[in-house]
Amino acid sequence: MEQFEQLLTCAICLDRYRNPKLLPCQHSFCMEPCLEGLVDYVRRQVKCPECRAEHRIPYQGVQGFPTNVTLQRFLELHIEITGELPDPTSGQVMERCNVCSEKAYCSFCYHCDKKICDECKGAHMEILRREISRINNQIRRGIHRLQDSLNLVEKNVQNVQTNCLSVGEEVEEIYRRLNKALKDRTDYLRNEIDRYLGTEMRTLTGLKENLEQEISNILSNCDLADKHMNENVDIWDDCELMDAKEIFLKTIEFIRNFEYENTDYTRKIRLILAHDPNQLVLHVAGFGDLNMANSSSPFSQGTSTALLQPPNPGLMRSKSDHRLAFRNQDQSYGERGYGDQDQDNVLSGRKFGERSQKPQTDRYGSSYGRTGGEYGDDYDHDRSARSKYSSRFRRRNNMADDDSDTESRGVRFHDQQQPHKTERERPLDTEDVTRGPLSGITRLADSPRVMKKLQENPTGKKKEKETPQPPAPKQPQVVPKRPPPPATRQVSEDDEIARIKKQNKGATTSTETATETRPAERTATTEERHPPQRKTPAPEAPSSTEESEGTVAALHQRKPAPPATRRPSSDAGHKKSTRSASSDSSSSAESTSSGAVRTTGAPFTTEEVKQKYLSRSEAPTETRGRTASTGAKDQQPKSTFQSRFLSKAAPQPPAKEGNEDDDDESETSTEEETESEEESDEPTSKRTDEKMAKSDIGPLLARSANAREPGSSRKEESPLNRLKYTAPDDSANRYGGRRRTTATDDEPPRYGYTSRFLNKSKSSAAIAQDEDDYSPRLSATSTLNDDDSKYPSNRSRYMALKERRQRLARSRSSQQFGDEDDGDDGGVTTPISPTTSNPTAYLASRGYGTSASAHDLARSRSSHALKSRDNSPERPAASGEKDGAALSSWARYLKNKYGNRSGAKDKESGSGAGGTSSSSSATRRLSLGLPLRSSTDLASSDDDQKNMQGSPTTPIAATVAAGIAAAAAGSRGSEAGCFTWPRGVAVGPDNSIVVADSSNHRVQVFDSRGRFLKEFGQYGSGEGEFDCLAGVAVNRIGQYIIADRYNHRIQVFDPSGRFLRSFGSQGTVDGRFNYPWGIATDALGFIYVCDKENHRIQQKIAFSKLCKIARNQRVLNLTKNGNISMRSLLHPANSNII
Amino acid sequence: MAALPRRIIKETQRLMQEPVPGISAVPDDSNARYFHVIVTGPEDSPFEGGLFKLELFLPEDYPMSAPKVRFITKIYHPNIDRLGRICLDILKDKWSPALQIRTVLLSIQALLSAPNPDDPLANDVAELWKVNESEAIRNAKEWTRKYAMDN
Repeated sequence: MEQFEQLLTCAICLDRYRNPKLLPCQHSFCMEPCLEGLVDYVRRQVKCPECRAEHRIPYQGVQGFPTNVTLQRFLELHIEITGELPDPTSGQVMERCNVCSEKAYCSFCYHCDKKICDECKGAHMEILRREISRINNQIRRGIHRLQDSLNLVEKNVQNVQTNCLSVGEEVEEIYRRLNKALKDRTDYLRNEIDRYLGTEMRTLTGLKENLEQEISNILSNCDLADKHMNENVDIWDDCELMDAKEIFLKTIEFIRNFEYENTDYTRKIRLILAHDPNQLVLHVAGFGDLNMANSSSPFSQGTSTALLQPPNPGLMRSKSDHRLAFRNQDQSYGERGYGDQDQDNVLSGRKFGERSQKPQTDRYGSSYGRTGGEYGDDYDHDRSARSKYSSRFRRRNNMADDDSDTESRGVRFHDQQQPHKTERERPLDTEDVTRGPLSGITRLADSPRVMKKLQENPTGKKKEKETPQPPAPKQPQVVPKRPPPPATRQVSEDDEIARIKKQNKGATTSTETATETRPAERTATTEERHPPQRKTPAPEAPSSTEESEGTVAALHQRKPAPPATRRPSSDAGHKKSTRSASSDSSSSAESTSSGAVRTTGAPFTTEEVKQKYLSRSEAPTETRGRTASTGAKDQQPKSTFQSRFLSKAAPQPPAKEGNEDDDDESETSTEEETESEEESDEPTSKRTDEKMAKSDIGPLLARSANAREPGSSRKEESPLNRLKYTAPDDSANRYGGRRRTTATDDEPPRYGYTSRFLNKSKSSAAIAQDEDDYSPRLSATSTLNDDDSKYPSNRSRYMALKERRQRLARSRSSQQFGDEDDGDDGGVTTPISPTTSNPTAYLASRGYGTSASAHDLARSRSSHALKSRDNSPERPAASGEKDGAALSSWARYLKNKYGNRSGAKDKESGSGAGGTSSSSSATRRLSLGLPLRSSTDLASSDDDQKNMQGSPTTPIAATVAAGIAAAAAGSRGSEAGCFTWPRGVAVGPDNSIVVADSSNHRVQVFDSRGRFLKEFGQYGSGEGEFDCLAGVAVNRIGQYIIADRYNHRIQVFDPSGRFLRSFGSQGTVDGRFNYPWGIATDALGFIYVCDKENHRIQQKIAFSKLCKIARNQRVLNLTKNGNISMRSLLHPANSNII
Repeated sequence: MAALPRRIIKETQRLMQEPVPGISAVPDDSNARYFHVIVTGPEDSPFEGGLFKLELFLPEDYPMSAPKVRFITKIYHPNIDRLGRICLDILKDKWSPALQIRTVLLSIQALLSAPNPDDPLANDVAELWKVNESEAIRNAKEWTRKYAMDN
């Protein structure tokens, strides 16, 4: 037998013959790689390794040698005898491995998207495993955040319930009061009327009787006189006649004089209303309003909501994490993802471990007993799905940053870990796995594939863990191959898979029963929960208790979310609903409908399932503790409940958000979106990313949280937030509320930019490391509030903000900003902005920003404020008289600041006193009409200039930095002299001001007086074209150096604006850029580029070839050093100085 | 570096499992393509009793190209120079992929028992071998005793 084997072994590869080719010398060798390797291509011959006979190679190559059919038969025979598995590579063609370039039987590697050989593939898989475990560790480390948010959410649920109850009670109270008042008054009025009627009737009747008496008397007298007085019969003596005459005279006199008072005839009663009844009705009809979205109602109603904020909204992530995570994601896609059909799932339409259908993978498909058709989602689908997911994610992130509405989203997202424990079953899905409703992350242990794997390989570790699950215990049972389709899941206790799942779950942190019962609990307790929770004020609440209506809204949205996410079973509709809950309102309808479908369909499905399982010979055991899923009956209630829940839950958030966004933010949305796009590079969309980022960002978070510590000197962000909020409030108040119709284009540049700035700084607060480019601004704002000396540099820019702040501070100490604003501005309340933003502002001002949650809140709230601010017509001209007052102070302030520089006093230099003191002093000065500009400000202008390059500064700042008295230059727009998102400014040697008009894709040059000189550049990627240029610098000889951000290059223009050269392209190696932003040049002509997404500063040499080599050397070194040193700077985009 | 080709693995396994008498080849711990080889001097040859150390390296394109083999132990042999390089046709142009490590080593062992002074590498040795074979053989024995039998 051994010899037999030997005969079947190729002498070259010492392996079993594969496609043996017979040489003319009767020796046989595998066609490839053996025979291929023997070919002498020069002489077109092959030398037999055995006998050294040389044979000419046929025209078609070694393929042309005849196949040794006999040997093949023997091979087959051998296989039959020994029962060996056929060579898996038989019938395959060797290719060059794309990694090691070895010729081998290659298969597609999802890790690198290449066809590679098994060895490389194994290595890649190892890499993947390691990465997964690493990520898993991070997830483990980060999961507590989700737990925290879960706790917070639960607390918030209580709070919301409490809040709602109290509000409801209040409404009830008001109703009672109004009712009582109305009733009392009505009764009183009725009584009065009755009384009046009685007296009037009495008097009138008396009068009537008297009159009748008179009339009868007089008539009888008249008759008597007619009859008897005219007769000549002298029956009357004179005396009698005299009396009669007197009587008659008196009568006539009486009749003449009798004048019935008019009032006696016209007496009537009238209901005099103090108010116009219509108005009264209106007042009553609208005696209160509940503003959930902006949560203004609690304030208007005088109720306070104690809401908790989750520690941080969308888990923050750093760029690098992203990259890793993203890559990982890709890898996981490739490797064998855990997907299922949902598009927004990580695996986007693939089952876990399903290979996307590529021709190369056919082999695997067949070996796994799958047909390609079954998994129609091909790679493209994956792509799109992935991108979709990411975009959604991005959006969410952005929103979370920009928009307090999305805070709820963030929260929901936070929540997503628990959903993990829930079991979602989708009847429509072929692969029914538990899936995180928020993240769409599936529970791996539920994946039939994983189960199968685990069973097949009990000891083998679960290598492809994506979710934070401990490796599932080994499964003794044999899993019945593919899990039942959709609905089966619902009844699936009986199922082995279910059992396995259960076990898996048991192995994981959450026990199966817990997960299963949770939904039920939830449903049952949702109503019940209210009372107990109402009473329990969240322990952490104090920080955020007063905050807000915004949070109320968030809560509203949030509350529904958990139930929705909890749903133990899932179908496509459900999935959609949860997904869409975060994005669009259409989901509501969908979810409800799905719920309905569910209810109706449940019995059937269960039935079906049962049958299936019965046929599977597993006795249905109902003791599994799955509340919902055993029987049709159980199913029914559950599903109904769910549907109810869904309809309740899902619709809310989307509707709200959609409305808000669409209605209120329509104009700003564009702006914000552009902004968010810029920032969306980093918020990639995968949940894993998020998680990772989260875990990695821990320290950062902590830092930021510290920064918000009230007592600490680093009040960078909280003040910022505060500022942010106050500013919008102010403006909004000043201008009498937000005017939605105002086009942002019309906004005076000052405001536009400010708002933009706010926007950015807010986001930077959120993702500090990502947005370091804005950090100066951040600090600047903080300066305004608390620590003037600390960040004096940017101060001048934000004087306006400061001023507002001062004004605020002046008017009130600890009151809510909203109230304060109202009082300050004469009670002009803006419907949304004050309320929404105030809580945070308040919070911030109160120093409640200690906790991350507060920060979180602040951030989300800030986005609100921002929005409102953006929308608010910030047009001095349009302001009312109150506004005028505010404006005047503003103007005065500006004047003081810019006009009286020389008289500046350094009052704020000793700003250790903190925000209040500095602001109060400023206020004092302001009130005294003293110049506010302090020497620190003056000193800081240098810094301003430095920072200006590459940083999106407002025109004001630019001009100020240039030493121009002009308050502002430009406005929003695309004409000459107008800007759209200017991101960089520089001052040329001739004192010209060069502005990188980013979203207009051009550079504008102004003279030192702010007059427009020229512009150059347009959108594109060609020479002299820009794509959202960011930084701009002017070197000694007047050349413009532009960081062409989205083209990942630096362009150089001559002083007249002609394109000279460009360098750089996207990449991470030295000399390549990833969204270069800030740019600076030094006296030697070196160019320093903030390679933003690469987190480094690169130094580029000037273009003198003489010193090229030497400087190149230096560049290298410096870049290296820079890399090292700049790593600590998370996002050095705005720091142009190395 | 790419993973080890199957052939090398197989050869190594076989060398370990069925070692050739008088020859031991052990792959290096850090480099599976590098073998530490010990060849015993063949009987009835001046090298009898000696243990000759060699190093063998399988180049990247092995088995399409010959392994690189070199004596580490000094040996007095007309076809092996002072540096231990071996003049053996199958290590050069006569290499065939059908040859293996074991066959190469066997060939080397055979070369020890059948020196070929007509195709010399060490000219002085070859010269002596041709002129005065007995002295050459004595020298070879001396060297063997001196260098190959100490340990």
